[in-house]
Amino acid sequence: MVVADAELPQVAPRGRVDWTPYLLVLPTLAFLGVFFVYPMAQAIWLSLTDQQSGALSLTNFRRMGGDLYFIPAIRYSILIMAIAVPLQVALGLVIALLVNSRFRGHSAFLYLTAIPIGISDLAAGLIWLSIFTERGYLNAFLDAAGLAAQPITFLTYEHTSWLIGAIVVTEVWRATAIVMLILLSGLQLIAKDYHDTASIFGAGRWQTLRHVTLPLLRPSLQTALIIRTILAFQLFATVVALAGRQIPVLAGEAYFWYSLYRSPNVASAYAALILVLSAAITFGYLRLLRQRELEMTA
Amino acid sequence: MLLRIAAAVLGIVLLVSVGAAYTAPAQEIVFTSNQFTPVEEQEWARNALLAKFTQETNIGVRFITEPEGPYVDRLVAEAKAGRGTIDVTGTLHGIFPIFLAENAVRDMKAVQSALDARKDRTFFKDLLAVSKFGDVQAFVPWMQATYLIVAQRSALQYFPRGRDPMRMTYEDLLDWGENIKQATGQRRVGFPVGPRGLYGRFLHGYIYPSWTGSQVKAFKSAQAVEMWSYLRRLWGVTHPSSFTYEFMSEPLLRGEVIVAWDHVARILPALRQRPNDFIVLPSPAGPRGRSFIAVVVGLALPRTAPNPELGTRLIEYLTRPATQVVTLQGVGFFPVSPEAGREVPTGGLKVMADGVGAQAGASDARTALLPIGLGARTGEFVPLYVDTFTLIAIQGRDIRQVLNAQAAKLEELYRAMNAACPPPDPAIRPCKPD
Repeated sequence: MVVADAELPQVAPRGRVDWTPYLLVLPTLAFLGVFFVYPMAQAIWLSLTDQQSGALSLTNFRRMGGDLYFIPAIRYSILIMAIAVPLQVALGLVIALLVNSRFRGHSAFLYLTAIPIGISDLAAGLIWLSIFTERGYLNAFLDAAGLAAQPITFLTYEHTSWLIGAIVVTEVWRATAIVMLILLSGLQLIAKDYHDTASIFGAGRWQTLRHVTLPLLRPSLQTALIIRTILAFQLFATVVALAGRQIPVLAGEAYFWYSLYRSPNVASAYAALILVLSAAITFGYLRLLRQRELEMTA
Repeated sequence: MLLRIAAAVLGIVLLVSVGAAYTAPAQEIVFTSNQFTPVEEQEWARNALLAKFTQETNIGVRFITEPEGPYVDRLVAEAKAGRGTIDVTGTLHGIFPIFLAENAVRDMKAVQSALDARKDRTFFKDLLAVSKFGDVQAFVPWMQATYLIVAQRSALQYFPRGRDPMRMTYEDLLDWGENIKQATGQRRVGFPVGPRGLYGRFLHGYIYPSWTGSQVKAFKSAQAVEMWSYLRRLWGVTHPSSFTYEFMSEPLLRGEVIVAWDHVARILPALRQRPNDFIVLPSPAGPRGRSFIAVVVGLALPRTAPNPELGTRLIEYLTRPATQVVTLQGVGFFPVSPEAGREVPTGGLKVMADGVGAQAGASDARTALLPIGLGARTGEFVPLYVDTFTLIAIQGRDIRQVLNAQAAKLEELYRAMNAACPPPDPAIRPCKPD
């Protein structure tokens, strides 16, 4: 009875509104309003107004669409996302499962694999630039191991796939750790009872993973996927460091239109496009999740 | 609990004592620039250049250096707000039209005549001429720079036989690259084609005027078509990582490239580290002469400056001949006063100064200036040239088609802003590619 009472919603006495919860969310709302909603509204407004006359127009979107780098930017943004995100999630899951198995020295391993979280994306790009450049660490290693007679130029416009490979490697190195942490905290939320029950029913390790752990981990997987996918659209500094503008990406184009062409309006058009794409993908993920839940309950 | 209180007391005592030990200057002014953005240069500006001014005058200087975009926005935003924090600003001659269009900077005539009255410095006449826009003097000349070729001394063995590197032509440069490629199997000529590299300057200020005698008018002329097919061949001997290069001193020091073209400030670190290994050469000459860009950097007082008198004192200090020599030695920007030019540099700077002298003093030298008058759309000019390069040299599109399409964009830009052609083109307004 005591438990049931505690679970009953606490209703404030009639006629008196309890303002405490509203006061508590107020700082968050103010923060979001000032730093997210206001700039977002301003960016959308900028993207819809002409830079010279200030009149409402679609000029900025037309200029964005007519730009040399527009189509490649969309193509490469999606391509890099489609390769890097599944790799990050798969690798993050493997590492999280490994750490969660609590082998000897697992906490040292956890700290080591989490290091890239603390490194900014530009720094990560520069680290890998110093590895891949012609006089970089990779060539030094190949040379010392006697594997290459001449240094190999990995970063060349002649091999777009190599450039994309370098970007994907850097992104996987940089961002797998955050996926791993989200999944690890998800794994630690799963009560041990489920695994015990599974083993009582004679489930092997693989079966437990497939039928118990992964379904229970779905919310965390979802979070990791959404975060990584949205962030993949904001991918920029690593690409600029490794591939310049040979591999244009959407966020990079927004930056170039702002800083190089000095056109905040077209830059805002790119930002608005990124917003729409991110929102669409998040919506898609959430829908996918809900359908699965319905299937499960049915 | 006790421990916590003790820690807090200790913290406060420390803070107070540090504050007391550090005697802040009586006054502080804000100085913004889009120059000296590399970290080493920022450090030098704060700890050497400006620290000396503070020592002398007891005026503190808060130095803010940013890339062009945010830098321009900050000053323009202050002008629009009608209330400012910036006291002095220093930037490229080509950016002042944006400030003038926004009415963001003062006429510097009064400051200039006060400086002239001191009789301890004069300014090169051609630099004073470019500081004037109509009847307004937008800035006081501060320092100047240019772009040059730098090469490893050992690379000279591949220079085409019987030709003079100090009087290099574009054909010589291509042959040089070919020879290097044949001898070493590698493409070792480098250009700063990275996103923040200055390759665009090479296109519109160096090779275009050298081949066509024009920056804009002859954009799609027959000579331009010839020039672009040359650039395609030159790209064939250029290091394939060039699109990541932003400061050529880096690949030069790594040995990835042995011949490079860049801004003096961006090759100076290589010369400083190994002054005996490198040689600086003038930029090449084309069929229409040896064109190069003279970069002029000027100082101005924003209209909204809160302390214009203190700002004027900083300008006086920065344009002093002795300070100009310090600036040359610190960051490789050259003096704007003949009084400072008499100083003979040594080491890497000597190598640089010889190259600059050979370039400016060549009999076929002709100066190109950065485009002005494009106002808020100034930033679109250079990317137009770099995009043209990407389309023709990297993506291999048809030269004539690309030139026609890009010329239409160039024409729209100049028509929209009603701007005149930049030298060496005649000052027709609006400028239009023929």
